[in-house]
Amino acid sequence: MAVTELSVAAPASRSVEASQRRTGWFLTAPALVLMGLILLGPVLVALVLSFTDYALGNPGFNWVGLENYEKLLTRSTYEKMFLATFTYVVTVVPISVGLGLGAALLITSVGRFRDLYKTIYFLPVMATLLAMAIAWEFMLHPTIGMVNRMLETGCGTILESIWPFMAKGCEGGFPLWLGDQRYAIWVVCFVGIWQGFGFNMVLYLAGLTSVHRELYHAAEMDGAKSAWERFRLVTWPALGPTTVFVVTISCIRAFQVFDTIEAFWPQGAGPNKSAYVMMFAIFEKGVQQNLIGIGSAITVVFLAFVMFLTLIQRWLVERKVHYG
Amino acid sequence: MIRDWWKHLILILGAVIVIAPFYMMLSYSLKSPGEIDRGEGGFFGRQEMMVDERCVALRDPNRDEVEAAAERFPGLTDRAVRDALIAEAEAECAMRPAVFNYTMAFTQAPLLRYLLNGVIVTVSIFVIQVLVALPAAYALAKLRFWGRETVFALVLFCLLIPVHAIALPLYIMLAKLGLTNTYAALVVPWTISVFGIFLMRQFFMTVPDDLIDAARMDGMTELSIVWRVMLPTAVPALLAFAIFSVVAHWNDYFWPRIVVTGSRELFTPPLGLREFKGDGDGSFFGPMMATATVIVCPLIVAFLLAQKRFIEGITLSGMK
Repeated sequence: MAVTELSVAAPASRSVEASQRRTGWFLTAPALVLMGLILLGPVLVALVLSFTDYALGNPGFNWVGLENYEKLLTRSTYEKMFLATFTYVVTVVPISVGLGLGAALLITSVGRFRDLYKTIYFLPVMATLLAMAIAWEFMLHPTIGMVNRMLETGCGTILESIWPFMAKGCEGGFPLWLGDQRYAIWVVCFVGIWQGFGFNMVLYLAGLTSVHRELYHAAEMDGAKSAWERFRLVTWPALGPTTVFVVTISCIRAFQVFDTIEAFWPQGAGPNKSAYVMMFAIFEKGVQQNLIGIGSAITVVFLAFVMFLTLIQRWLVERKVHYG
Repeated sequence: MIRDWWKHLILILGAVIVIAPFYMMLSYSLKSPGEIDRGEGGFFGRQEMMVDERCVALRDPNRDEVEAAAERFPGLTDRAVRDALIAEAEAECAMRPAVFNYTMAFTQAPLLRYLLNGVIVTVSIFVIQVLVALPAAYALAKLRFWGRETVFALVLFCLLIPVHAIALPLYIMLAKLGLTNTYAALVVPWTISVFGIFLMRQFFMTVPDDLIDAARMDGMTELSIVWRVMLPTAVPALLAFAIFSVVAHWNDYFWPRIVVTGSRELFTPPLGLREFKGDGDGSFFGPMMATATVIVCPLIVAFLLAQKRFIEGITLSGMK
């Protein structure tokens, strides 16, 4: 950084400097004020309120210490909440990243229709998730939905004898999907993967274009004959930074899942609260039931998770790249 | 092609699953309730004339109307005149299922209003984001002032905070100010885009200093440099950011769901669809899917027309 003109200290440059300082603060002021009010302020507000029993409409509040956090750790509702959230994140992130990478590799390796596949896989990223969740709900409708109708056509064929799930379905009816506690969270995961993997695919496609051709030749010279060897030795390491980023952003998005669950089950987040994720809990406790204290505590825990993840990502990235 | 058949097979299978809900949405939006129930009619349905029961019920003739119409049907009893009127109503209320579904979508709920709200909200958010972020980004990239590094560090820190995560305290603050159920509530939390600041700052770093010095020589003020020199150079980056911002806020459901309750006047398209679902019974699948199609369409069509730009915009967050 060049600060040499300080030593020159001609009156003219000093006035330039003073004017730059003024305009610098003047131009960043609106952003600074809004950052304070809209981003940093609320984080503090949530932190403070998480130690109270505040409710909108009450004149005052009581300090309750760690009671809200204690509830989060002891009540079975919140146990379900953490379980549902982690099930979702742990399922959706690896699968959508894996499918994204797989699709990107397949698409770059085929000669024709690349753009067509790319366009199709990217469609769900653009579409309003709420609308598509409702569409999936119809697809999975137990009686008139396309999915169960399709499965029914498989009855009486060989599928029935080789796939126990089909045999069971043909005999006693196919699953209710959204109404069945065993399937509910997995359906939500499926829609999350369906919606998100195209995004990861595009990031990987961008990452793949930056892998140098020569590296493959070099690897081949060194005896990496099979496609798998080339992938392991060249492609995968080269995609490292992309993977770090894709995993982080997938995690953060997965933590924030809400639309699908609200569309499927406006009340209660699934049979026996099996899809009671954190965003839904914040919405239900904090906004609908006006239990601001507990809602704020969930918010704080949520923020802690997300910040922790992003910091890990930055640490991983900054070992290689530096913001100039 | 032949050698890669298995790759195409996998990719096509994936494509079928990806497209399935879109296919169903569009198809149901064209079919009659009966066809949806029985799963017939292929993609377009048979488009046979169907009678809209609600429309007929609305036109159920009362005594006065029967008497008034008696002249048109000379020699008939009141009862027969009534039947004739109902038959007339049925004939006029008959329409193709596709027309029925889309008419219902626009008449059962103020869908146009919702779409307009969506446009108002997304456009205001984007414009304010640019008004706030561009000067800040310019200052961070090109001005030397005490505290600049601190401000930039603050921007990097704020990048850690997803706005959806702090929805509850934001909601409480807006409720305290009496701002829930206003356009302001829908727009305000998104006015500051730290990501926009970061992105624009990175972009402005690449703009040569000479350009700015020349503008200063010409006697331009710093503010006019931002809008008349920097803005034009930033158009490609801004366009990508616009797509990023508009797509996110057109599709956003969580935040509007929190701050808008009750008043339909302020519903954004996803909220409208949600309400439609809430009070619809089974026979309303068609109109509901028509609503969903109308809401999803603008962005999908825009995407299909300008794919490269859209992919660039949506994956902006990957440019760090």
